[in-house]
Amino acid sequence: MVPQKETHPPESAEVREDMSTEEMVVAGEKISTGKGTCFLCHTMGAEGSRAPDLAGVGRRAASRKEGFSDIDYLAESLFEPSAYVVDGYNPIMTPAHKAPISLTQPETLAVIAYLQSLGGAPTVTMKTKLKYSADAAPTVVASSDGAAVSYDNLSGEELFNKYACMACHSLTDPIQLLGPSLYDVGNRLSRAEIYESIIDPDAVVIEGFVKGVMGATLQGAGFDKDVTPQQLRTMVEFLSEKKGS
Amino acid sequence: MLFAQSQEGGADVAYREFPFVGSRIAIWAIGELHLMYAAFVLAVPMFALIIEFIGYKTGDKRYDKLAHEFTSLLSVSFSFTATLGAILTFMLMILYPRFTSYLLSIFDKTFWPYGLLFFAEAGFLYSYYYGWGKFSPRVHLLLGVGLNIVGTAIMFIANAWLAFMTSPSGIDEAGNLVSTWDAVNNYIWMPINIHRMIANVCFGGAIAAAYAGFKFLGAKTKEEKAHYDWMGYVGNFIAISALLPLPFAGYWLGSEIYAYRAQMGMVLMGGAFSWLFIIQAVLIGMLFLGANYYLWLGMERIEGAEKYKKFVKYLLATITVCFVVWATPHSLVATVEEARKMGGTHHPVLGILGVMSAKNTAVNIMILTTYISFLLYRRGNKVATVSWAPLGHSAQFLIFAVTIIFVIIIGVVGYFVEASVRIGLSVPQVISVLSAMISVTIIDIFLFRNARIVGQIRWGEIPARAQYMLFFLAVTFTWLMGLMGYVRSGLRLHWHVYEVMKDTSVDAYTPTLGFASTVVSCIVIIFFIFIMFNFWLTGLLHKKDWEPNA
Repeated sequence: MVPQKETHPPESAEVREDMSTEEMVVAGEKISTGKGTCFLCHTMGAEGSRAPDLAGVGRRAASRKEGFSDIDYLAESLFEPSAYVVDGYNPIMTPAHKAPISLTQPETLAVIAYLQSLGGAPTVTMKTKLKYSADAAPTVVASSDGAAVSYDNLSGEELFNKYACMACHSLTDPIQLLGPSLYDVGNRLSRAEIYESIIDPDAVVIEGFVKGVMGATLQGAGFDKDVTPQQLRTMVEFLSEKKGS
Repeated sequence: MLFAQSQEGGADVAYREFPFVGSRIAIWAIGELHLMYAAFVLAVPMFALIIEFIGYKTGDKRYDKLAHEFTSLLSVSFSFTATLGAILTFMLMILYPRFTSYLLSIFDKTFWPYGLLFFAEAGFLYSYYYGWGKFSPRVHLLLGVGLNIVGTAIMFIANAWLAFMTSPSGIDEAGNLVSTWDAVNNYIWMPINIHRMIANVCFGGAIAAAYAGFKFLGAKTKEEKAHYDWMGYVGNFIAISALLPLPFAGYWLGSEIYAYRAQMGMVLMGGAFSWLFIIQAVLIGMLFLGANYYLWLGMERIEGAEKYKKFVKYLLATITVCFVVWATPHSLVATVEEARKMGGTHHPVLGILGVMSAKNTAVNIMILTTYISFLLYRRGNKVATVSWAPLGHSAQFLIFAVTIIFVIIIGVVGYFVEASVRIGLSVPQVISVLSAMISVTIIDIFLFRNARIVGQIRWGEIPARAQYMLFFLAVTFTWLMGLMGYVRSGLRLHWHVYEVMKDTSVDAYTPTLGFASTVVSCIVIIFFIFIMFNFWLTGLLHKKDWEPNA
């Protein structure tokens, strides 16, 4: 029978800053078999046809490259895997801190602890400084972000604060700040006019106020880029209910 | 302004759900149907043009009629292709707005030529079809050339989009566009182009042959049967001719994927999809068996071909052995107890066959054997009359023998060398087989020039089961195309654009092979319902006009 298995995206193992080395070994093993996908190519206790056998790597690592400690060698193998390629194998490995694996610095330290434990004694700690940093890895393009979705669920008042409208407009009192008060805007403007005032603030400017200020402020706050139609609807609805009471 | 806001806002929604089946299956089905139709619409003009050209050069009107009949299948199919393409685009924008928005930001410059070329294709296609017999032959052939160039260019542009998703280039580390051309000319773009072009011809030939088989079974007169038998033969010949180099193109594509990111290659051949390649091996093995069977059945209608019948059993045995080797899995699904008895997940005897050294050897010999079947079919009713005929036959035999021995030796050597060397061994295997086929063909052309015809080909006198074999081949090709399309797309796993944009939707996982096969099977059924409807519409052209008292 053909195997029936769903393959889910790898989950990140929990790696805490206060972990002991022993705990790091356990976490490192979990990362190696999961998110790290190390055993897609490497073997354990059998000659690997694609990538070297990892059994005993903790013992070999210290003497693999002159002038390199075992931690240095293992770190280089993870960050710059093509710098040293074991005889008989091709340089097929991608840097573990970059996509698609994208290990973080703590995860990398945990993996090093696990690799050290394979035939050797783990000495790496969460405080060990490596020559490389996973933090420098480029970020991937977001296909979704919690922020954009959750902002759609914000109330009108929350959106009013998020986009810093309260810096120029009062909602609670009929007082003039940098912009006119919105305390009773629902009495003065229709929904369409409120909408227009938000997306094209210079279309109608109340006497005494300067054109271009609100547009520039919103642009600076990233409003034009971030606001969604749902958020606009919520804000218009919220403001239209401000009747001055 | 409101419109602009809506557009901006649309990009902020990452995913939308399609009712009942979900977004992934909806996109999967429409995308695959569009690809199948596009493959057919792009392939038929290629061989229609070649057949028309043969008719033009030889003056044989049968070829012209055949090319016209092949082209008549295009008109309705073209509309379906365009409609499915439009639906696919809308669905991508609605269901995957952020991902689509990202692709649009990378490839916006390619949409203008794409649209213009599509418009040009419509012009060329309809003038080629409706202009049949209305222009001078040379002008008409030029229209066909234009149709093929434009169609191929369209395919190349669309291929760039999907190839980019697997091997993105032309962007900086944050995914921003740096060069449109580099994004188009990404790592696997050309291998995909070549593989698809050959596969399209294969698929188009098989579908056209199935159409001929269908018409043959319903034919009332001897003339009709003879015509559709010939059409089926030509369609199948086209499909098999393209099938022979297809594994090589597939191998090139696979090796380029591996070279781009070895991890993706592992997923492809040794990870989540490795068992799908066993299914693929079974299907391709069936294709080879079916194609050879059709040729052997066809030899029964060739007077004089009886003398080659004795070879059929050896050819069958060779193909069967190669098929079994090719379909042998690397590891077996076994219980712990079974695995212990075997000494691991590899079978103690058959396990040795489940590696690429054995499989590459088997497929190369299978290709050569099919080629030999075709060679025997071709010379069925002919006797070479050139003075050097014995020498020519001996040279052909020698080439086959040396090639097969060479392929086997290379396969055996593969067991004793390191992985890095073994991967490169398939190249000399492929080159030797291709060289053998080309050199034997050249010898054959000169060998049978002015050959003595010892019997006629009795077109139309072929068993009905040969036509069912044509249906079988068409369905298998289609199913294979669907499965391999799934693999090509699925090997990105949980990435929309590999290493650049993650799939964070609810469908960001690879389904089971059983589920994937079921979806592909449903798509294949829908495709055949659609294409049969298309063929029925095409057939209306030749129906008598309705009359009130008829």
